[in-house]
Amino acid sequence: MTAYIIRRIWQMIPTMLGVIVLVFILFNWVGGDPAYVLAGKISSAEQIANIRRQLGVDQPYWVQLWIFVKQVLTANFGASWSTNEPVSHILATRLGPSLTVLVPLLIISTLISIGLALAVAYVRASLTDRLVMISCTIGLSISILVYIIVFQYVFAYKLGWFPVQGWGDSFWQNLIVYASLPIIILLVVSIAPDLRLFRTFVLDEINQDYVRTGRAKGLSENRIMWVHVLRNASIPIITHVMAQIPGLLIGAFLVERFFSIPGIGREVILAVERSDFPVIKAITVYVAAATMIFNLLADLMYKAVDPRVQLK
Amino acid sequence: MTVGRPVSHSVVLLVRTTLAVCAAVLFANPAWCADPNKVLHIEFYVAETGFDPAKVQDYYSFVVIEGICDSLLTYDYLARPAKLVPRAAEGLPEVRDEARTYVFKVKKGIYFAPDPAFKGKRRELTAEDFVYSIKRFKDPVNHAPYESFIDGIVGLEELKKEAEKTGKFDYDRKVAGLQALDRYTLQIKLKETDYTFPYIMGLPNFAAVAREVIEAYGDDSNAHPVGSGPYRLKEWVRSNKIVLEANPDFRGFVWNFEAGSDPLDKEIVAAMKGKTMPQIGRVEISVIEEQQAAWLAFQNDELDVLHLREQFAPVAVPGGKVNAQLAAAGVTLNRITDPDLNYTYFNTTDPDFGGFAKEKIALRRAIFMSFDNAEYLRVIRKGQAMEAQYPIPPGVVGYDARYRTVVPYDPILANKLLDYFGYKRDGDGYRSWPDGRPLVMRYSSTPSSRDRELDELWQKSLERIGVRIQIDKNKFPEELKQERACHLLSRTASWIADYPDGDDFMQLLYGPNSGQNNNACFQLPEWDRIYEKTRSLPPDSQERSRLYRQLWRMAEFQGVWKLHDTRYRNMLVQPQVIGYKKHPILLAEYMYYDLDNSRRRK
Amino acid sequence: MPFDRPHTVSPSLWALAWKRLRGDRVAMVSLAIVALFILMMILSGIGLVAKDWAKEVGVNYAPPTLQGPDTETSAPAASAGGPSAGQAAADEPTEVPVQDPLADALAAIRGETKKPAAAEAPGAESQSVDPLADVMADIRAKGTKADVSEARAATLPLGGDKWGRDVLKKTIKGSETSIFVGLAAAVVATFLGTVFGAAAGYYGRWLDDFFNWFYSVFTAIPYLLLILAVAAVLQQKGLLTIVLILGLTGWTGVFRLIRGEYLKHKGREYVQAADAIGASNARRMFVHILPNVSHVVLVQLSILTVGFIKAEVILSFLGFGVPVDVVSWGSMLNEAQNELILGKWWQLAAAGTAMAVLVTAFSLFTDALRDALDPKLK
Repeated sequence: MTAYIIRRIWQMIPTMLGVIVLVFILFNWVGGDPAYVLAGKISSAEQIANIRRQLGVDQPYWVQLWIFVKQVLTANFGASWSTNEPVSHILATRLGPSLTVLVPLLIISTLISIGLALAVAYVRASLTDRLVMISCTIGLSISILVYIIVFQYVFAYKLGWFPVQGWGDSFWQNLIVYASLPIIILLVVSIAPDLRLFRTFVLDEINQDYVRTGRAKGLSENRIMWVHVLRNASIPIITHVMAQIPGLLIGAFLVERFFSIPGIGREVILAVERSDFPVIKAITVYVAAATMIFNLLADLMYKAVDPRVQLK
Repeated sequence: MTVGRPVSHSVVLLVRTTLAVCAAVLFANPAWCADPNKVLHIEFYVAETGFDPAKVQDYYSFVVIEGICDSLLTYDYLARPAKLVPRAAEGLPEVRDEARTYVFKVKKGIYFAPDPAFKGKRRELTAEDFVYSIKRFKDPVNHAPYESFIDGIVGLEELKKEAEKTGKFDYDRKVAGLQALDRYTLQIKLKETDYTFPYIMGLPNFAAVAREVIEAYGDDSNAHPVGSGPYRLKEWVRSNKIVLEANPDFRGFVWNFEAGSDPLDKEIVAAMKGKTMPQIGRVEISVIEEQQAAWLAFQNDELDVLHLREQFAPVAVPGGKVNAQLAAAGVTLNRITDPDLNYTYFNTTDPDFGGFAKEKIALRRAIFMSFDNAEYLRVIRKGQAMEAQYPIPPGVVGYDARYRTVVPYDPILANKLLDYFGYKRDGDGYRSWPDGRPLVMRYSSTPSSRDRELDELWQKSLERIGVRIQIDKNKFPEELKQERACHLLSRTASWIADYPDGDDFMQLLYGPNSGQNNNACFQLPEWDRIYEKTRSLPPDSQERSRLYRQLWRMAEFQGVWKLHDTRYRNMLVQPQVIGYKKHPILLAEYMYYDLDNSRRRK
Repeated sequence: MPFDRPHTVSPSLWALAWKRLRGDRVAMVSLAIVALFILMMILSGIGLVAKDWAKEVGVNYAPPTLQGPDTETSAPAASAGGPSAGQAAADEPTEVPVQDPLADALAAIRGETKKPAAAEAPGAESQSVDPLADVMADIRAKGTKADVSEARAATLPLGGDKWGRDVLKKTIKGSETSIFVGLAAAVVATFLGTVFGAAAGYYGRWLDDFFNWFYSVFTAIPYLLLILAVAAVLQQKGLLTIVLILGLTGWTGVFRLIRGEYLKHKGREYVQAADAIGASNARRMFVHILPNVSHVVLVQLSILTVGFIKAEVILSFLGFGVPVDVVSWGSMLNEAQNELILGKWWQLAAAGTAMAVLVTAFSLFTDALRDALDPKLK
């Protein structure tokens, strides 16, 4: 096991190097020159050169790349070019709000999706099953943008059940008051695809022999479903959920933008608009690292749930 | 953030503390006690960057800085057109040597807000603080965006060059043009006559900061603004929320502005006269980027004052009056024209479209004549702007209400002009150059949805005269870079006045400013000569206005700019806000008005 | 030799799948709907339908016919209710003694009109000062407003957008763009994923390692950042850009699946048999294995199409959508963002519904297709 983990971590290095180089090339090439925006209304060529010197972008590419690599190793990306806020501070403060929305979302969404998937698998091929599946498909086909616009208008504005936007100071206030409508919107958008997928996983299991054996042995359908089928189906389910987590961080940017939630997704968009390279670099590297780590965790959980699995 | 909730424990504690502090302070400083129950909620459309006046340049950062730091001068809250009045200075400066020397006297007894950098001592504001604050703009480490505004001060440039060589800026070196003659007297000497210099000292950029504070916080000065103004920074969640609280060490001032001709003024004076300011104890600013969210928040009474976005103006203020629903809730509208200008330029150094030969002028003029400002105002601005015919907007010294453009919307004449000069249409109906090459106008814009609307309108316009358009999309920083290098052909740009003088606008066409703010890269020696004459004339002279008219007529004939509009700024004000009047230049008006919580709805 | 006995050819995978599909009612209905949209797309593409979508036939924000015309006044006239600025048009314009370089040209143009120079100039413009006065007056007398407006409709079947363009036509034309973008991007992504996956799965060893590494790097970078970066690289040159943005970033799922399939098939007997008869690697990959894997490819293509149609909406929101002279559902939804609050719901409804119907039908059909091609997965 330890050997496996060590090998996996070892394999992450070339991937991380690839990410670093790719990000560096892409954003140096296309990142835009922040010096002109920072220089302000009236600026001479000399001032621009001064700024570029201050930011360190006048150095040759390979020097900048080496600095970047060092930054990754020391986990110190310096400060934002536009606001001078230390990048680590940016990440630390923005992570909280993003997670306040995403963690409850993940928990609720997974529970509901699994429950519904089992329930629907129970009555598979029946009218209920088809209806539920078709509603999922219809729900999936509406763009998240439409959901956000309509929900914000109807539930926050017209009905006044939720605040239209904003973020508070206390964790509980944020969770209960400000995060609710965003979580609801994201739930609607994520339950549909998850339900379809989990249903497939569960049905795969139901068709297996051991289920028939179980029934033959006289086990209740409930027990078969909740104990045996779920256990086996949980492998692909776990992989799926784990793999989604890093993507969710940034993926919620639309919701963060519309509801003024100071999260990572919104920060990324701001950074790209301002060509704020340190922030972009840092977020990319951290999310890439998170993706790889979560994949590893998923594989490890595989083994924990199903001892038959051979990790290679 | 919802107001109107029962007073929580922390607020009670705050009130008790403040009362205690007030009692102590009253004996030392019989000035004020801002009410901590008066909590103002306002919003920013765009995120701020930071609060070091030398390092930042954006409007919203200065809304905060102006409330925290004192500049020498400021503007009279009620007087229109905008009038400079003293703030940290005792009076308007003494002007000598044909506006080459200015002497300011700093008021005695102004103190900075307490900060650990002062090591427990009470710190008075002196003339030397202004010397330091202005010098900071030339320190290369700060790469101050507004550095060039004080280029005119004798001796500063040398100090900067030295700093570039040695790598360290010598703040202790005496500068001939920037001296504290004594503890409270500041003398500034300029290289040339400049009548607009007092306006520069009225900018919040040049407000006073304390050397100890800057040296203590260094790179992090953006997060630690310490000033002698009415507010101090209590809390800052970047790009999201800013909380200001009344500065307990502020000297206070008595509200005594005089009413002008506006009927609203009389009401304001009646409500506010004699009050000790600031009244509002706490200012909570939220950054709300989505138009819809801000509008909905205001309707839910989560905001006290809203800068109404254009999109919702037709719904909120149809025909220039608040709609029935808002009126019933007691909301009022405060509308002014921003001192801004929106225009589309042609790069007159472009190899194809540029130059001053007749056929090129005709081409540019024809293209400008194809654009219908009325449609632009109606559909894109939704009636929330007025057409600009003169490059200086209303309210700014030098504005001419009677000037009429000589390049109005006239697609028929435009077509005739193009035909006359040989821009023939080919098989598919589009024109080509006289030598037969296809004629394509390059227009640059950003990927925002506002720019997309403009793109659509320009495309329609050019269809009328048979000219092809190519729309180049770039992010704003990239666009700016190319513009500064004079690589773009055309773009719709805007300029908002830093101070209410026409020179701020006319300098946009001055040849030597090419590569900076002269985005049309317009260089015409005879134009420049006339402009230079205007710089040595006093701002309110007839002669200067006459010369400005000439300058603009020349520019119009040459086809450099197409003027579009000057925007209205619609401020929606909840009934609990007392004494509000939007000022065209002032940013931190919250120190001049009041809240009456008993007037809130429900 | 029993050559005269009737020959039963065992039905191919495709024939079997088609038979299963035919029996699935939902699938057939979905297929019909998808076919309808594709027909609409073709008709729109060749210009038979919605060709003049950009024409402003209605008043600004014309409501749908069912709702009835807008009785409120539209946005106030440009300078109505403006704050004191002294903009009365009756004021005498100021005189400015500057010579117009085009004075001669304009005079010549005026000469062409052959109208008597009855200068009706509103007395304010002094002729000696402004050489254009006659020309302008003359032309003004003839009427210069090019938009001699044909009457603009007060209502349109599905309403009008802010410029007065017909939302129904925009929706139809938009379907052409959106479906094209979705399909084309899916083709690019599927092609890339298949080629990479085939190479990795078939050849194995270092090529597999390389592609795996490339895949890990690509999937490690947050999708949003990848999109923004690629969008910035490609600049904005039209529909092709969007297709490439989506295609170049969306191949990873296909890659993994196809690689798995090739790994599976590589060791099978029929491949070994092909090797025995001397088929080259390329031949084995694409002539022998690919057909057996094609059902996976097809299903992926279908899934990606749906995904990209939806992604185009987000791209438009971010500002990397279709150029100005093209309309897509994404651009319509983007415009509709701020219209809802003004009470103008029709563009949102039209684009949203059209997209929902197509995507639902497409998804249902894809599901049915997948089930038909590989019944074990049911």
